Amino acid sequence: MKRLKLFFLLFPISLILVGCWDKSELEERGYVIVIGIDKSKKDHMIDVTFQVENPQVGSSSLATAPNEPPSDILTITATDILSAKELANSIVSRKIDLSQVETIIIGEAFAKSDYFHHIIASSTRDPEIRRRIIMIVSKENAREFINNNHSKLETRPHKYYSFMSDRWKDTGFVPISDLNRYFQRSSGALFLAIYATSERDERYRESSDNYKAGQVPQKEGDPVQMIGSAVLKNGKMIGVLTGEETRNSLLLREKSKTHHYIDTFIDPKMEGHRISARVGKEEHSKVKINVKTEPPEVFVTVPLKVQVLSIPSQIDYASNEKNQALLKGEIKKDLEEKISSLIKKTQKEFGAEPFVWYEEARREFWTMDEFIKYDWQKKYRDADVKVDFEITIESFGSQLKPQKTGRGD
Amino acid sequence: MGSPKNSNPSNNQKNLNQSFSDDFEKNLSLIKDAFSYPTNQSLKIRNLTILSGAKNGVLLFLEGTVDTKAIEETIIGPLIKITDIPEDGDIMSIIEENIVFTTGTKQVEKLQDAVKDLLGGNTLILFEGEHVALSAVTTGFENRGVSEPTVENVVRGPKESFNESMAVNQSLIRKQINDNRLLCETKTVGNKVVKEVSIIYIKGVVDEELLNDVKKKIDEIESDLIQNLSILEQYIESRTFSVVPSTLLTERPDRACSFLLDGHIVLLMNSSPYALIVPVTFWNLFHTIEDQYLRWVYANFIRIISLISIFIAMYTPAIYLAVSTFHIEMLPPDLLFAIAATREVVPIPVLWEIILLEIVFEILREAGIRIPSVIGPTIGIVGALILGQAAVQANLVSPILVIVVAITGLSSFVIQDLNLNFMIRLLRFGFIFIANFMGFFGIFLATACLFAYMVSLKSFNVPFLAPYAPYFQSPKGLILRPPVWKQALFPFYSNSENEKRGNTSKAGSTDD
Repeated sequence: MKRLKLFFLLFPISLILVGCWDKSELEERGYVIVIGIDKSKKDHMIDVTFQVENPQVGSSSLATAPNEPPSDILTITATDILSAKELANSIVSRKIDLSQVETIIIGEAFAKSDYFHHIIASSTRDPEIRRRIIMIVSKENAREFINNNHSKLETRPHKYYSFMSDRWKDTGFVPISDLNRYFQRSSGALFLAIYATSERDERYRESSDNYKAGQVPQKEGDPVQMIGSAVLKNGKMIGVLTGEETRNSLLLREKSKTHHYIDTFIDPKMEGHRISARVGKEEHSKVKINVKTEPPEVFVTVPLKVQVLSIPSQIDYASNEKNQALLKGEIKKDLEEKISSLIKKTQKEFGAEPFVWYEEARREFWTMDEFIKYDWQKKYRDADVKVDFEITIESFGSQLKPQKTGRGD
Repeated sequence: MGSPKNSNPSNNQKNLNQSFSDDFEKNLSLIKDAFSYPTNQSLKIRNLTILSGAKNGVLLFLEGTVDTKAIEETIIGPLIKITDIPEDGDIMSIIEENIVFTTGTKQVEKLQDAVKDLLGGNTLILFEGEHVALSAVTTGFENRGVSEPTVENVVRGPKESFNESMAVNQSLIRKQINDNRLLCETKTVGNKVVKEVSIIYIKGVVDEELLNDVKKKIDEIESDLIQNLSILEQYIESRTFSVVPSTLLTERPDRACSFLLDGHIVLLMNSSPYALIVPVTFWNLFHTIEDQYLRWVYANFIRIISLISIFIAMYTPAIYLAVSTFHIEMLPPDLLFAIAATREVVPIPVLWEIILLEIVFEILREAGIRIPSVIGPTIGIVGALILGQAAVQANLVSPILVIVVAITGLSSFVIQDLNLNFMIRLLRFGFIFIANFMGFFGIFLATACLFAYMVSLKSFNVPFLAPYAPYFQSPKGLILRPPVWKQALFPFYSNSENEKRGNTSKAGSTDD
């Protein structure tokens, strides 16, 4: 009994010993949603832009802060992200918290600089920086990008980024690029990061989606376009792929995350008309690499399911199997042309592949040392790549009569 | 239904050892003195003569303990009709054996026994010149009828519950277990006011050692008065100061019976509308009887729901506290901002916010029990609507916390056993405090301590978390139950004789 009393008396004292380290109430913190990083005018310094979301705007009907903006944006010049965070604490009324950061914006100029990789790599030592943060490369400075990016539909910035990343999975115009993937592919292989801009440089291309960010013809609407990808090699940006090139490189990956997209093809029976179709890759692409030969041989089989959506030329494809064969051939030709120019571009211009083929090539070796010695990315530049498309036309939309789709042929 | 016979003045106790003599008047006055007659008007005395006026006698009983109609019909009526008896016969024996119709009669010689019988509702018959009194069973205490359970409600299952009469309660059990092995031993407790405790078990199923242990514990009680089972429970339970219960009270005869069949011991007492079950494990407290009545799929669904409820009731406020002060990165941004936005205007830290609301909820709950049933519904509305809504509008608490406390409270109602319910509710506060200091680390630490403690705990030598820890071969179905036709084993704490026979499976009568 006495012992019990003593225990109850002494036990709370042991709780004081823990000292509530790192305890803080959640309303005392300022949650950064987006971090932007730019090259500073000073050498070895960076401009870090924080977008701190205001929880009281748009989150709860009970919260009232009618005159406050949804977020506060500030830029600090410092040596790295974490020291910038400490400096920001002297300005922002709340303790800066990076645990909710969803997106990191890199200015193109900074991405092309040498110490981009060091800044990013060192920042992940802070447990608050998550590896699933999405990395976006902006054509202009990240600071301008964040300041310009005010979506009309989403008051709260974190909602904008989380909805946008859902859209990307559908369209395939941008790769899914987060910090974790960046670190996985930073050695040798090309890493594709989302490319975005708030600047306009409109182009008109009627035959394809061959746009880079900023080139999509757009009137009004949200200021930011996200299409295409920034190509990074060894932690440094070396070029840009258009939306269509990005999508095609995702198709060539064995396990790509893009499920369906809509594309248009030339109508093989009537010049000047285009057929639009939903193209989807429901199964994994098959990649076979032969490293025994010199140069190495790469065989890729991409199984595609096509659902024809509209045929403006009114030609009967649904019940005419000959026409269907023509259409298949046209789709195949169209894709093969685009793919081969993409592969040529990666081989000649970038000198590495963004298709995650290195994983397949690595399997051909017994030890890691052998693979490193083989230097796959270098060998790829001369590799003999053969891409084959297995196209299945699934449907022609709603029909009055049953359609003849010779499945599996 | 009260028991006025308990008002036995203590200054009369010393004379109780005397025996009856041949002196009729003296015998009568002994009894009168014992009950302080005529001050105490409860003692009723009816004079009568038998054998056509040849022999005077007197009938004594305590008002309120007897069935007067039974006295009239089975004692007075037959007695008056006696006209002659054999010359050589012992008059008391003849009356006892041939004349009085009551279910039980006996001759008493000692005043002590006579007083005890009178208190128990017997009628005492004294005759001139006889040194023994005749005690006839005419017990008829006022009693409530068998009604529906009020706490342990089920949707499907018997709707009877125990009432305050031990005899009725025994009959409710006998009704369900028609077995000559169902034994009912009686022990007395209390030094001054003697009360009966009925120990019920099934011979051959119950563990003898356990039975002796329970009997010994009851014998060892040194108290003047054990009012009812709830008091007895506190005398015989394992750890008085522990938050974890080691006994179980049920108001359902069917539940008591299923415990009997599993080898538990059931204790009954008068004026206790429930049965005390010993020993118990955590699983006994966790299970409800409806688990067995529902079909396999539904029963297991209910089991899962109640298990989740236990966790919610115990952990939710602590987890909320830990997440919102230590592990903010766990919250999805939408939720985080919604909480932060409403917390911003609340002046008190989240710990005190939780404690404030939890205490208000416990007050509401207690008020709900104590409040006169006429105005009961009003307090529900005041409590739930006005307090919750107004506290949020007054910025005293954040709305998310109202949800946290409400779901916690609601889940705690799923736990039917009152003891387990209190245990969970009390532990919740412990978890809240530790979460405030150490976050999730603290919660896990406290959980580990709790499990270590529960494993060490024993209820009548049965480990509290057994048969999981320590492991024994026992029927499965502690968390999810197998179909009824597969529950063939007796629990490990039942009959050890079977084990000695090398009957590993202990296959028993529960198999169809």
